[in-house]
Amino acid sequence: MKIELDNLTKNFGEFTAVDHISLVMNNGVYGLLGVNGAGKTTLMRMLCTLLRPTEGTIYCNGRDIWEMDSEYRSLLGYLPQEFGFYPEFSVQDYLLYIAALKGIRPVVAKKRVKELIAKVGLAKVTAHKMKKLSGGMKRRAGIAQAMLNDPQILILDEPTAGLDPNERIRFRNLISELSEERLVLLSTHIVSDVEYIANEIWMMQEGRIVHQGTAEKIIDAMPETVWECLVEKRMVSAFAKKYKISNMKTEHNGVILRIISREKPCEQAKKAYVTLEDVFLYYFGEKAGDENVAI
Amino acid sequence: MLRYEVKKVFSKTGGKIALLMLTAMLVLVCFLTVRSVEYVDEQGVSRSGITAARRLREDKNKWAGEITEDVLIEVLQKNREINASKEYQSADYRENDKAYARKQGFSDIRDMINHAFTAFREYDYYRVDSVTDEEVGRFYERRIAGLKDWLYSEEAKDIYSEEEKEFLLTKYQELKTPFYYEYADGWKAFSEYAPTLIMLTVLILGFPVSGIFANEFQLKADAIFFSAKFGRNKAVLSKIGAGILMITEIYWVMVLLYSAVVFAILGTSGAGCAIQTGLGGWKSFYHITYLQEYLLIILGGYLGSLFMLTLVMFLSAKTHSAVVSVTAPFVLLFIPSFLSGISVLSKVLGLLPDQLLQMGVAVKLFNLYQAGGKVTGALPIIMTLYPILFLAMLPVLYRGYRKTQIQ
Repeated sequence: MKIELDNLTKNFGEFTAVDHISLVMNNGVYGLLGVNGAGKTTLMRMLCTLLRPTEGTIYCNGRDIWEMDSEYRSLLGYLPQEFGFYPEFSVQDYLLYIAALKGIRPVVAKKRVKELIAKVGLAKVTAHKMKKLSGGMKRRAGIAQAMLNDPQILILDEPTAGLDPNERIRFRNLISELSEERLVLLSTHIVSDVEYIANEIWMMQEGRIVHQGTAEKIIDAMPETVWECLVEKRMVSAFAKKYKISNMKTEHNGVILRIISREKPCEQAKKAYVTLEDVFLYYFGEKAGDENVAI
Repeated sequence: MLRYEVKKVFSKTGGKIALLMLTAMLVLVCFLTVRSVEYVDEQGVSRSGITAARRLREDKNKWAGEITEDVLIEVLQKNREINASKEYQSADYRENDKAYARKQGFSDIRDMINHAFTAFREYDYYRVDSVTDEEVGRFYERRIAGLKDWLYSEEAKDIYSEEEKEFLLTKYQELKTPFYYEYADGWKAFSEYAPTLIMLTVLILGFPVSGIFANEFQLKADAIFFSAKFGRNKAVLSKIGAGILMITEIYWVMVLLYSAVVFAILGTSGAGCAIQTGLGGWKSFYHITYLQEYLLIILGGYLGSLFMLTLVMFLSAKTHSAVVSVTAPFVLLFIPSFLSGISVLSKVLGLLPDQLLQMGVAVKLFNLYQAGGKVTGALPIIMTLYPILFLAMLPVLYRGYRKTQIQ
C-alpha cells in the first residue's frame, strides 16, 4: 500500500490549514504530531475523502483517491476525533450498521462483528446501548468500527483523547496489535502515544510538516541539549524566563528543572536523556499542549 | 441499510413520540368524523354512532334514485306537510326537532333545492318552503342559470376571462342529469375530515423525516458515514428510500385505517353519486362521484405528502439542520391561509401543494388556469406538477448529499 500526498493544500477562506504537503507513506505506523490547530484533522479528513483539497491531490497506489471513490473508501478505516454514533443502537447493531455501510455482506458482517467485539473487549456489553458505554468503551467500539472491513489504511484521529491512563495504554496496545500489514496514520498531541508505537513521526505546524523521521532521528536532529538541575524555588522564574523548561518536579530541597538549552544552564546541571516530549516542546514551544489555540 | 435508517429514526424518543401522536390523532379524527354524522330520532334527540348512521341511511335511502321532477315535487309536498304540523309550528325547539326528524330523509334534496333557487353566492335554508311545484321542474336549469347570472354580475365579471366563463358554463351543462341520489354521509364526512388527518400526518411526520439526513451531523456520525465505502452512494440512496418508505407506509396506514373506521361505521352507500348531490359539492365543476372524490383525496394526499416531506429531507440534507427543515410543511400549510384574503393571489394559492392535502376542498373551488385558448381547473395541474417536482428533487437530493464535505 502506497499513499502519496502531492502538493496537498487546503484553504478555508484566507486561512491555510494544510500548506503544500508532499509525502509518501507505505505500510507501517505513522504518528502525526502537532499542537491543536496544526492542521492534523484537516489533513486526515482529506485522506478520508471527507474534504476536497484546494490544491494538489492524494494518490493511492498511483491512482487519484477521488477518482477511485468508493473503491478507495473500501480500503479505509477511520476513527475521527469526535466519534459520533447512534445513541439508541446497541453495540452490535451499531457495528452491523457500519458493516453494511462498508459493503460487508450480512453473514460475513455478523462473524466479523463478533470477532472484533471480543478483540476490543466489549463482549459483555454487546447488547448495551451505545449511549450507556463509558468513554473508553465508546473509543473501543470506535476502533472496532474502523477495523470492520480489515482496512489497508487505518486513520485514527486523536484516538486516546479523553481516556484515563489505563485505558490509554490499553488502547495504544490495541492499535499496535492492529497495525500489522497495513498503513496506520495516528494523529495526536499526546507525545507518548506516538513515541511508543509509530515507526515514523511527522511533526506538523501551521499546516506544514516541519520534521519527519523515526523518533530517534528526530531526537538526534534536535540542535540543543536537555539538562537536569536542582535549583532553589525562588530561582525557578528566572530560569523559566531564560530557558525552555520541559518539566519541573518539586522536591523537599528545591525544584528539579528539565531545561532545553545549547549551553549548560548552571554549574550543577547534568546532561539528560532526550525524549520526544522534549523535542515537541522545543519545536512547538508554549503552544505545545495548549488545547485552545486557533485552528 | 434501509432497515437501519428506519431504526435510527424510530429508536429515538422523538420518533416514538411522533408515532404516539399519529395514533392519538387518528383516534381523535375518527371520533370527530363519526360524531359529525347525526341522526335525530322521533323524540327530537340527536344521536351519533353506528346505529344512528344506520337509521339515517335507512331514512335517506327511502329517497334513493334519480332526482326527477316528480321526486322534487314529492319533496316539496312532504316538506309542506311537515311545515303544517304542530311540531313544526311550535315555539318549543324540542318540538321543532321532532319535525326535523321527519325531514332528514330528504334533507339532502331539500338542500339542493335551496341552492338551486337561491342566488349563486347565497344560501337560504328556508327557500324550499316558497318554491312552487311548477317552478321546481327548472331545478337543473336553475343551477346553470345561477352560475351564469353570477359570472356576468358586477362581482365576478372581471374575475374570469370569457373563455373561463365559457368553460365553467359548459362544464355545468355537461353534467349528467337527473342526478342519482343515495345516502352518502360516510363519503361526505370522510371528505370533510380527511384534510385534517392528512395535514396533521404531514406535520407530525415532518419531525422524524427531518432527522434522516440531518442526524448524521447532529450526532457527529457524519465523518464515519461519509468515509465508508457506501457513504456517498448506496447509503444516501438508502436514506432517500427510508424516507419514502416511511412516508408511504405511515401515510397509507393512517388513511386506510381512517377509511376503514369511517366506512365501517357510516357506511359506503352513495359511492356512485355525483358530488353535486351534496351541499358542499353542489357548485363543483368537476364531474366526479363520491368514490372518485375519495380516490382523489387519498391519492392527492399521498402525492402532497411525498412532495412536502421530500422537501423536508432536501432541506435537512442541505442545511444539516432538522429544526430548519421541519418548518417547511408548516410554512407551506399555513402561509396560504394568511394570504387567502388577497384576491390577486388566489390563482397562485390554488396551485400550492397544500391543495393536494385537501382535495375535498380543491374540487369545490373555482380556480381556473388558461394557457392559449385552453382552460383547465387546478386539479390536473397540481396532480401533474408536484409528482414531477418530487421526482426532480430526488437526484438533486442524492447528488447534493453525496458531495457533502465535513469541515
